[in-house]
Amino acid sequence: MKRLDRLSLGGLACLLVLVVFALGSLAGAGGDPDAIVGPRLRPPGPGWWLGTDNLGRSMLPRVMEGVGTTLLLSSIAVLVTAAVSATFGIIAGYRGGYLNELVMRLVEVLYSFPAIVLAILVAAVLGPGQVAALASIVLATIPLMTRLVRAAAVAVSQRDYVTSAVISGARLPRVLGRHVLPNVAGTIAVQGTYALSVGIAVEGGLSFLGFGVQPPQASLGVLIQRGGTYMIAAPWLILGPGVVLVVAILAINVVGDGLRDQLEPRETRSLT
Amino acid sequence: MRLLMWWSGRALSSAATLLGVSVLIFAAVRLMPGGFAETVLGPFATAEQKAELATRYGLDQPVFMQYGHWLGTVAGGDFGISMISRQPVGAELLARLPVTAELSLLAVAVSVLAGVPLGVLTAVRARPGGGGAAGRLLSGLGVSVPEFVLGSLVVFVFSRYALGLEVGAWVPLTQDPARNLATMVLPAAVLSVFAVSVTARTTRDAVMGVLVEPYVTAAVGRGESPWFIVRHHILRNAAAPVVTLLGTITAYLLGGALIVEHVFNLPGVGSYIVQAVGRRDYAVVQAGVLLAAGVFIVMNVVIDLLVGVLDPRLGVTAGRRS
Repeated sequence: MKRLDRLSLGGLACLLVLVVFALGSLAGAGGDPDAIVGPRLRPPGPGWWLGTDNLGRSMLPRVMEGVGTTLLLSSIAVLVTAAVSATFGIIAGYRGGYLNELVMRLVEVLYSFPAIVLAILVAAVLGPGQVAALASIVLATIPLMTRLVRAAAVAVSQRDYVTSAVISGARLPRVLGRHVLPNVAGTIAVQGTYALSVGIAVEGGLSFLGFGVQPPQASLGVLIQRGGTYMIAAPWLILGPGVVLVVAILAINVVGDGLRDQLEPRETRSLT
Repeated sequence: MRLLMWWSGRALSSAATLLGVSVLIFAAVRLMPGGFAETVLGPFATAEQKAELATRYGLDQPVFMQYGHWLGTVAGGDFGISMISRQPVGAELLARLPVTAELSLLAVAVSVLAGVPLGVLTAVRARPGGGGAAGRLLSGLGVSVPEFVLGSLVVFVFSRYALGLEVGAWVPLTQDPARNLATMVLPAAVLSVFAVSVTARTTRDAVMGVLVEPYVTAAVGRGESPWFIVRHHILRNAAAPVVTLLGTITAYLLGGALIVEHVFNLPGVGSYIVQAVGRRDYAVVQAGVLLAAGVFIVMNVVIDLLVGVLDPRLGVTAGRRS
């Protein structure tokens, strides 16, 4: 097995730094995100390395907390998506028939909504909050992943080792779990990575519009939205969280590209 | 004949999807936790208002009857009354549609005019096995910057420093086309960044695929000029994936327009929906979301048609995908 290329390793390193950031925030490094440390709307300087906000809170611990919220929300959502998509994609791809037809129809319906529009609908129904953000990410990422897992499962199902497992009397759960799942796991991993970056963007967008994570809890989207109000006087309020958000998405996309080249050498590129 | 069959199948399946979308939207809004009447009218509703709502939406009937009733009114172009402004939602949507359409069309135009040449150029110039880290990083950056981040930054830069373009002062197209365009340039540019990167990437991949075809080698051997080869042999054969991509881009632009309109304060459909969610104006949310999904579905049918015209072979094979 070849190693990831340099660029993807760099992405992975960036990602690790962000995770350490987020964990550090839990351990109290960087200070209390809600403590007032100095004058209001101060540019970055000693004591407040990313500046202070409109209440005089240091932005550094707030951004650290925001990274944590955003990463945690998106990761949980992507795990849910992976579980749902793997289950339905594999069953639909292996079984075919009306079940396949049903799953693909449902996926097609979900696929017809642009991600942020779907998120808006979810937020309108569930009310703004973390649950809405989580559900939005799951619903927005399910269609593409289910489709691609199903396509991979269709190809794997025709392989000889699956046929021989069936002939030797393996039951359905064993065939799917031991023979099909491991061979579509690469697709799930690659799509899961891309889904994570979509998730971060959706959470950011939804929270930015005010319908995702609610203040005082910080997420990157919330910080950018709050920063917008004082943008002219204090541009660092959106620059800090904005740059971190872009770095997170870029790093994940780069890692996803590297994984894809590893695991599915001849697959076509997927969007986002 | 076979193509016609395929076409009617495609149209039917899209209609089914649209129906599914409408069921989902209806169910989502009507079956909200807390009950439809209470949520829509708020806690201070009088019995009279509730009765009016019940007759208007047929709330005393079985759910599927309510759905049929709703679908009937929507098909007739009646999207209900906004709970806040008490104005018909359909008329307001229609009045705002041109802004969103102009924004999206500008963004599509930019992404094709910038993305395609960029993709062709990088593909033709590429060394075999190339794709340098810098190029990958740059195109990766293009798809990784969410438009609410970029939009906020652009608004900041252009409102802090006088750079000749106004931000947040929208002028109707019919009133002053030049000034309208000046106010639309920045939002359209922000909206198109993602689409440009994706278009360039896809064009590059498609062109690289065509470059290794024997007929390109033959054309080079005949001594045809590079520009002629690009125009006659490459662009036409690489067009199908790029045109197909436009469908995905449309979905993306519809969502992105919502955020960009909000950031730049443009009076389009997107900012209308965002306001409506904040005010819990469900008739508007329902209509807006249905409109977005509908446009996306129709757009994809149109694109399939276009791809079929560009490359007749694809229409037949595409018919066999399940």
